[in-house]
Amino acid sequence: MKRFMELWQYREFLRTNVKKDIRGKYKASFLGVLWSFINPLLQVLVYAIVFPYIMRVQTPHYLVFLICGIIPWTWFITSMSNGTTCITNNSNLIKKVYFPREILPISSVTSGMVNFAISCIIILIFALIDGVGISWHIIFLPLVAIVQYVVQLAFVFLTCAFNVYVKDVEYMVTFLLNLAFYATPILYNVDMFKGSKFAFIFKINPVAYIVEAYRKIFYLHEIPNYRELGMLFIISLIALAICYSIFKKLEKRFAEEI
Amino acid sequence: MKKENAIEVRNMTKSFKLYSDKPNTMKERLVRGWKKNNNEIHTVLKDIDIEIKKGDTVALIGVNGSGKSTLLKLMTKIIYPNKGTVETRGKLTSLLELGAGFHPDFTGRENIYFNAAIFGLTRAEIDKRIDDIIEFSELGDFIDSPIRTYSSGMYMRLAFAVAINVDADILLIDEILAVGDQHFQDKCFAKLEELAKSDMTIVIVAHGMEALKKLCTRGIWINNGVVAMDGKFEEVSNAYLKECA
Repeated sequence: MKRFMELWQYREFLRTNVKKDIRGKYKASFLGVLWSFINPLLQVLVYAIVFPYIMRVQTPHYLVFLICGIIPWTWFITSMSNGTTCITNNSNLIKKVYFPREILPISSVTSGMVNFAISCIIILIFALIDGVGISWHIIFLPLVAIVQYVVQLAFVFLTCAFNVYVKDVEYMVTFLLNLAFYATPILYNVDMFKGSKFAFIFKINPVAYIVEAYRKIFYLHEIPNYRELGMLFIISLIALAICYSIFKKLEKRFAEEI
Repeated sequence: MKKENAIEVRNMTKSFKLYSDKPNTMKERLVRGWKKNNNEIHTVLKDIDIEIKKGDTVALIGVNGSGKSTLLKLMTKIIYPNKGTVETRGKLTSLLELGAGFHPDFTGRENIYFNAAIFGLTRAEIDKRIDDIIEFSELGDFIDSPIRTYSSGMYMRLAFAVAINVDADILLIDEILAVGDQHFQDKCFAKLEELAKSDMTIVIVAHGMEALKKLCTRGIWINNGVVAMDGKFEEVSNAYLKECA
């Protein structure tokens, strides 16, 4: 309880950190914050050009299909890569100032979420333009986002703490994220792998469930599979508790090891 | 913890591992894994016992590498002791580094929020102090320019202005008194004197004995990781200066 009181006391630090993350990154550039939205859009553009023509994908409204996967994935990948290095990149703060260390991983996931929330407008715009439309299912969006938030925070607590002790973690994370991109149904549909021996990948990949849920909301206009999501939420809460306690153990020697 | 104390250090020992060349990567760990005892343990502080009463202003003195800054870091809870305990009571602010969290592309005003927030102030608390901070920094209209355009003197003035206006029950200061020109240094010193007279507990690490004399009532001389002398500031500093001469 005392920990939460302290975190609450430091809420302004979380807020300024998120602000620095979002506005500071592109501050010197001409387009500024817009870059955080242009980047995923350009990525969508690349895949939207490449896949239908080269790979002969038959999915209808492929652009919207794609964008429903890319935008959540962008949140995932930015929180994971910024989160993993959030302690090591702030070594000057860790060595010289006391503050609850968990603020740093929390703020890297949170700033990703703020970007994601704004990016959802992009998804909606594309859904309207492409004729998919918008339905009332959008009310499930916050629920799915919360699940994703917890999953990411659990991962980040673990990787950022390990990265202080073994610097290789950040490079391994980069590789694993690269791999996970193809193990997540972003470019393709899970149904393509029905009955295949690779189908188990989507059972063990938490991001696959999340992307599927977003797709149901924005693209298929269905109610997300709440049983799966509920299970995922419970498991990720347990994982979060475990990862957080590991983080708290390892945090004691951050200032010495960094 | 006794009621009249702000800081209590009990039988506290802190040691660091000394790596000849720290194996940082996985490869190095695997290669070196088989010879485990290639690092020595260096004990920085041995069996330290210190009690500091509320409202005291205490100077930690000693030669470089004697463990003064490590002791401050332990009090701040940036690092933790291997043995014994370090306890503090009340809100603690440590000024080990000025301008923590400054971002060069943001204005001085925004950076005041960044910096003060690291010390655990809420938005309302910063709003209340911001005029004092800006006035203290003497930056005037520059406060709304990005701090990458500041000179190093202006940067330090802003940083010190924030640091000194973050009020706390315990203030730990590590050799940061020499900021800005003579006028600004005098002003900082006057502010510190004012704080020292209040009921704030202050622990200072510094080398300028003349300046410390005006601030501190008590001196703790740390030599080779043990408390060599603890008492009235005059006596401790005289003994220390005699030893160094």
